[in-house]
Amino acid sequence: MYKETTSSKIVKWSLIGISIAFVVLMLLLPLITVIAEAFKQGFDIYAKAVSDNYTTKAIWLTLEATLLAVIINTVFGLSAAWSLTKFQFKGKKILTTLIDLPVTVSPIIAGLIFLLTFGRQSPIYPLLQDWDIKIVFAVPGIVLATIFVTFPFISRELIPVLEARGNDEEEAAALMGAKGWTIFRKITFPHIKWAFLYGVVLCAARAMGEFGAVSVISGHLRGKTNTLPLHVEILFNEFQYVPAFAVSSILVMLAIVILIARSVIEYRGRKKI
Amino acid sequence: MYVELKNINKHFGNFKASDNVSFGIEKGKLIGLLGPSGSGKTTILRMIAGLENPDSGEIIIDGKVINNVPASKRGIGFVFQSYALFRYMTVFENIAFGLRVLKKSENEIKERVAELVKLIGLEGLENRYPSQLSGGQRQRVAFARALAPNPQLLLLDEPFAAIDAKVRQELRHWLKEMIAKLGVTSIFVTHDQDEAIEVADEIIITNKGRIDQIGKPLDVYSKPKTAFVASFFGQPSIFKDYNKFHSFDTIPNVDQAIVRPEFVKVTKKNEVQKFKNSAEEGVVTDVAFRGSGIEITVLVNGETLTARRSFDEPSISVGEKVDVFIYRLFVTVGNYAFLLENKSIREPIVVI
Repeated sequence: MYKETTSSKIVKWSLIGISIAFVVLMLLLPLITVIAEAFKQGFDIYAKAVSDNYTTKAIWLTLEATLLAVIINTVFGLSAAWSLTKFQFKGKKILTTLIDLPVTVSPIIAGLIFLLTFGRQSPIYPLLQDWDIKIVFAVPGIVLATIFVTFPFISRELIPVLEARGNDEEEAAALMGAKGWTIFRKITFPHIKWAFLYGVVLCAARAMGEFGAVSVISGHLRGKTNTLPLHVEILFNEFQYVPAFAVSSILVMLAIVILIARSVIEYRGRKKI
Repeated sequence: MYVELKNINKHFGNFKASDNVSFGIEKGKLIGLLGPSGSGKTTILRMIAGLENPDSGEIIIDGKVINNVPASKRGIGFVFQSYALFRYMTVFENIAFGLRVLKKSENEIKERVAELVKLIGLEGLENRYPSQLSGGQRQRVAFARALAPNPQLLLLDEPFAAIDAKVRQELRHWLKEMIAKLGVTSIFVTHDQDEAIEVADEIIITNKGRIDQIGKPLDVYSKPKTAFVASFFGQPSIFKDYNKFHSFDTIPNVDQAIVRPEFVKVTKKNEVQKFKNSAEEGVVTDVAFRGSGIEITVLVNGETLTARRSFDEPSISVGEKVDVFIYRLFVTVGNYAFLLENKSIREPIVVI
């Protein structure tokens, strides 16, 4: 048996100490500051800041972009994970690598890519004008940028789970005459459910907090293309500290909700296995 | 013939998994596809099931060519090596799955599942999940699930591979009995010769993608036609020059001689040996307890042979000089195997 010696005790407690100190300094202190600053001038001012017209619009836009990103990345994530684990085809390795690109590319670059692809300089810009489609400095651009940065989250959760399992059960079901959709619904989905939900949570969390890519493509049109993080920045730049922190506290609360959802899903998922 | 394969060929890249495979199976028979791993037996099974397509050749079931019939329409029950039970469904739902796909009524499903659960002796466990069952129970559920839609042909891929030795023995008997009772034509794949001999009505031996021999277990065992089959069964001792041993006919171009333990009689110097004159002297190099008897390894004329003795006979120790008599042996010429009997068995015996 391993026996704790004095020196290993020192190592143990100093490591724990460093971790706790770090969490307090880097996470708890800022969080407390945000909440404290938000309520500094009383609840009425807070409520006013939060229920401000531009703020509500920013909340709705953020939720809209998040919802769309989750939906679209669900479709993409399921297809990508399924095709990468169940089929053999040329270019599979390249596809696997490319999926990770949004994580490695800086969000600012991602925003610029969309600006250049759909903006005035772009060769397809006249086409978009003809069809009366607005992407840059409009909601579609924000949604696109959000989808881009949250692209790999769902597929990345699903691929290892699907890989670890093989096709036996699906084959057995197919042999008995079950159709593709029935097989997915009854055999495959119950297996990937928890990993999938976990991916959705991660994707939602990232989508809500996205700043860089969205900042480039949104144009900061207050009440139109301002998401919550962008709204916070604008308020802050205007020295409106209380509203800035009040709006930040909404994001903090959303983050805490997601953190709880994450823990519940992780716990239930582990219990199922 | 109920199931017939005609000139089936199948490649996986450069690997030839099936090389001109042809055979027929009668209705109601339990067939064992036996061969070492990589010999193409599972490929044959998967092609019959429709999980793989042959490159050329015909698969015929009940008089109809089914090459282009999709797997789900062939009416075949398949038991996977790993069972592939649906792990998020209960025993009941697992067995009911095939019936639900066929859109049977809820009453019919309940009735049929109850019948099958009774048949496999798992009453009361309908609401368990596969992870809550033992290996043997899982296998029974897999069997019931495959049988639920009343298939005309049942295919089993290494059905006993994942079960421990004791339960395996039990399940073999159980499966043989079940299949005989239901009368469903069945083919199972195995690499275990004992299993094939014990369970199958007929054995098909595969080797390097080809069929080497088809026949009743006893015939395949005692009358091997090819060099491979002769050396596959039992625990053979193989050597080149069999003329060192007395009283065997000499055949030209022999590649090797194969001697199974039951062909060899080892006697102590003071024991009675009927064919003393043709016996040779050997030295015991190993004595091993094998549960059902004693296995003796003996060095005779520079060759190592394995023989068996029962517990009732006087014990033999390592280093002891013994008499060794070989009743018969297989010799192979090219791909063919022949049985040679020791000539002294037929000669009149002079007892002094």
